Amino acid sequence: MSGRARGLVWLSSLLVIFGAIALIVVAIVVDKDHPLSTLSPVGRQGRDIAELINPIFIVAGVVFFLVQGAVLALWWRYRVAGSESGDGEFGYYDDDEFPEQTHGNNRLEIAWTIVPTVLLAVISVFTLVALFALDDVKASEDDLVVTVIGQQWWWEYQYHLDGDTSTPPDFVTANELVIPVGQDVALDIKSRDVIHSFWIPKLNGKRDAVPGRSHDWVIQAEEPGRFRGQCTEFCGLSHGYMKMVAVALPSDKFAQWKNNQRTAATAPEEGTDEAAGWETFETQCASCHVIVGLTTRGGKPDTWRIYGDASGGDAGGYLDAETLVAGAAPNLTHLMTRSTFAGSAFDLYLDAGEDIPYLNLADRGTLNRGELEAWIFNAPERKPADADDLRGMPARTGLSPDDIDNVVAFLSTLD
Amino acid sequence: MTITDRTITAPEETLALPAGPTIAHRPLGVFTRPQGSEGWTSWLFTVDHKRIGIMYGAAALFFFLVGGAEALFIRLQLATPNGSVIGAGTYNGVFTMHGVTMVFLVIMPMAAAFANYLLPLQVGARDVAFPRLNAFSFWCFLAGGLLLTSSVLIGGWFQNAPDGGWFAYAPNTGLLFSPSKGIDFYAVGLQILGVASLVSAINLIVTVLNMRTKGMSFFRMPVLTWMLLITQFLLLFALPVITVALFLLMFDRLWDANFFNVEAGADPLLWQHLFWIFGHPEVYILILPAFGIVSEIIPTFARKPLFGYHFMVASGIAIGFMGWGVWAHHMFTSGVGPLSVAAFSVSTMFIAVPTGVKILNWLATMYRGRLRFTTPMLYAVGVVSMFTIGGLSGVTHSIAPSDTQQTDTYYIVAHFHYVIFGGALLGLFGGFYFWWPKAFGYKLSEAWGKASFWVMLIGFNFTFGPMHILGLQGMSRRIATYRGDEGFAFWNMVATIGAFVIAVGVAMFFWNVYVSTRNWRRAGRPDVGPDPWDARGLEWMTASPVPEHNFDEDIQVDRLDHFWHRKYGVDENHRVVRAAPTSEVAHDGSNTNVHLPSPSYWPIVLGGGILLVGYGIIYNLWLAAAGLVFLVASIYGWILEPADDPDAAGHHDDHDDGDDHGDPDSNGGPSGNGESASAEEPESESAETEEEAATIG
Repeated sequence: MSGRARGLVWLSSLLVIFGAIALIVVAIVVDKDHPLSTLSPVGRQGRDIAELINPIFIVAGVVFFLVQGAVLALWWRYRVAGSESGDGEFGYYDDDEFPEQTHGNNRLEIAWTIVPTVLLAVISVFTLVALFALDDVKASEDDLVVTVIGQQWWWEYQYHLDGDTSTPPDFVTANELVIPVGQDVALDIKSRDVIHSFWIPKLNGKRDAVPGRSHDWVIQAEEPGRFRGQCTEFCGLSHGYMKMVAVALPSDKFAQWKNNQRTAATAPEEGTDEAAGWETFETQCASCHVIVGLTTRGGKPDTWRIYGDASGGDAGGYLDAETLVAGAAPNLTHLMTRSTFAGSAFDLYLDAGEDIPYLNLADRGTLNRGELEAWIFNAPERKPADADDLRGMPARTGLSPDDIDNVVAFLSTLD
Repeated sequence: MTITDRTITAPEETLALPAGPTIAHRPLGVFTRPQGSEGWTSWLFTVDHKRIGIMYGAAALFFFLVGGAEALFIRLQLATPNGSVIGAGTYNGVFTMHGVTMVFLVIMPMAAAFANYLLPLQVGARDVAFPRLNAFSFWCFLAGGLLLTSSVLIGGWFQNAPDGGWFAYAPNTGLLFSPSKGIDFYAVGLQILGVASLVSAINLIVTVLNMRTKGMSFFRMPVLTWMLLITQFLLLFALPVITVALFLLMFDRLWDANFFNVEAGADPLLWQHLFWIFGHPEVYILILPAFGIVSEIIPTFARKPLFGYHFMVASGIAIGFMGWGVWAHHMFTSGVGPLSVAAFSVSTMFIAVPTGVKILNWLATMYRGRLRFTTPMLYAVGVVSMFTIGGLSGVTHSIAPSDTQQTDTYYIVAHFHYVIFGGALLGLFGGFYFWWPKAFGYKLSEAWGKASFWVMLIGFNFTFGPMHILGLQGMSRRIATYRGDEGFAFWNMVATIGAFVIAVGVAMFFWNVYVSTRNWRRAGRPDVGPDPWDARGLEWMTASPVPEHNFDEDIQVDRLDHFWHRKYGVDENHRVVRAAPTSEVAHDGSNTNVHLPSPSYWPIVLGGGILLVGYGIIYNLWLAAAGLVFLVASIYGWILEPADDPDAAGHHDDHDDGDDHGDPDSNGGPSGNGESASAEEPESESAETEEEAATIG
């Protein structure tokens, strides 16, 4: 190959490399339509983390270009032509010419040991400051604390409005964590079975939910909105389908939502489809799903207190195989105020979009009836579940289409 | 009939006791030693470190195809949102087995292949310290590998495959949450593999410490020897930790122990600590051999000595030590407390320093060199370039607050593939191309080699480059699928296409092996010469392929890169000039008067016993008991077999008159386990009948 042709090859490969890098940078900067992105934080903690790491990304980027540039430059400058077959007297070399036999340079090597050390020492100072600052956030005594409990494969949220987690929660919801805008919300993260990890990327980093342990975490949203999350510690079969959503509401809306959540459900009118649906629900679903005001346990109607009583005040306690089934399913009292179901794996409303007006039911869009019916009929087909029905929602393939219609009609009343 | 008569016709079946020429038969046939070094059966009983190395390499390449196929299934499943190529259950088994296979059955044995083949050669020894143990390491590894891999077939496709991730976090791996046999296979299989690695580590450490040739002081050892030695020490200390963890897990699952049972008061973080105290040094176990290989290749093709030999060795040692102090950076979100997080965050940052030193020293070696971009050199420079990317993303993980965003996302997947694929695997492939002529006597095709390198490199970057973006955009690891509206579709499709490009590159490598072998045979098997690359290490100082006895005579080493300095000197103007032609310096492998350890039946038999015990523990304790009897019997066989076999063909019964070959420390030869106790062994001149054909089948 002539020198000119070689040059062209080099030039074009460099163009390809830098073009690819430029594309990637553009793809990162234009960070639209990525509801889980860590690159466009909305929460204070998420922003602190981004502000810490972004300059380090830049430093790493500079080092990247220096090293890759050096590799390419050395390659370009010092490559030699030689015997193509490599069968010459000197292996691949045609000649007996040697470069200067440098064995090293202590001064240089000490320099490139010390320079990165100093650089990293500087970075470590910023890291430690940020680390302890992020850890130091404590909600004041009587602020809202939410006990977050992971289990296969959904999240339960127990709201303690007075901040006292030793008493039964004021109300319980699942998969969608609603918080007031601008306020640090303390989370008390637990697990009922295996290790999970709670992560709303736009608000804060993740924190593991470890059975037998209780981990403090804080999230905050600076703007109203819906923020997606995903369980990030491998937790078995349906790990990929274990998602969640955080919804930040302005304080007046949050108060409205909160007051609604504390109310109990009422039984549908006799003789309606909804009432028929409730009957089906009572026989098929109520042994696991609690609807406060309707479902009963041991002859007594369920109240929010059962979450305190069930496991001796430690509502996030580890459950054994039996209790994993009984009671450890999402509380459905206000199902229709959520925008997703089944561990946030599916949308409850069809054309809802990302920032639905959360309390105005009329604006929520159309109920995702097809998905909901398919879920009730044969849940493991939509979201894999343990074959022994120990974990995940078992199939109810014995239900007729009418039964399912009625159950959906009943569920539609739960708002 | 005298023994001298018989041994001229090599693989004769006559029985005789080893102790003296007067006894004409052996009491028990099984206590003889196998004979001959030709034919496929001789590979089963070989104790030759080179053949064992080749078998390690072949097995690793086989498992590489298995693990690669699993990777393609992963990429197919994730190519589009709501993927349904394989279900979530199978997916969990596939990604677990992909990780376990690539770490324990590909990278580690590939490194073991180079360690076995090259360590004795590079220190100028005849063999490893304990040749039979060396063979046992391989068979034990193969037993563990086959046991683990068989789990994907037993009882149906991926029905009993491990499905808890390669990290197998408790309590998800408990019987309650993972009721299939998968985790049992994981726990038992990894324990067997651990035995293999541990035995091998001790063997190789003793080899390097005790069997260096005359004048081969520590700081005259090649960097590859150093890196492999450090790797063996890491294995020696790391494997017991994972063994304890696996042992506890096994008891939990099989015999209702409560080590990780939260209900009974256990803290699942115990598993995480045990696993990562092993798991992080394991990362360096994977990468250091590749660092050593790169440090051999770059000087050869730069025609310069390695820049800063002492710094390179010291940084390797530093990595070896610091690697023990960073494990909890895998647990920044596990709730280990802010002080621990801070300490491990800082220690993790500083482990980047010795690694950076290596990168810069390689670049300095290239500076002002005469660079020939042969296939091995492409791979070596590929490591410098790709590992740097993995190293830099590694530094960003050490920023603990930021790691709470990145951990368990595809950003991490990208990071460790740049380290393990872009670093370890590319380095090992470079090693294949570099030492292939040494092991087999011919070079792999350069044209196919270069083409396959570029295809692999481009595919690699298209597969794992986008994963950085996916991770930062919030895509979690180990999810069987993702929603269409999460914005992950485009880069996942790119990554999947890239994975298939890698597959093409790998196929080109295997095609290269086939084509090059065929062409070499058709050309009448031309001799590649002892030193086809004009290289520096002692391994190039003997014929290619390396004769069974390695070196014709002991080498007296007088400096680093001894072989190179025998070939080249400097004139009065300090210019490098040829001092002697390679053919004069290198051995031609013609010396047949060398004592070598005899082959043995027992290593493979013992490996079979371990396999039985393994399946028995999982399925039926009676089978395990039978396996145990088998195992104990083979240990007896091992002990009772004669140290040397007068009937053995070829070299094996030869005396090396007067010359105390091998290292003076080892008192007469490579077999530190007593196999050279040959005092009353008869003399023989039979070795002429033996040929180097032995070294490749």
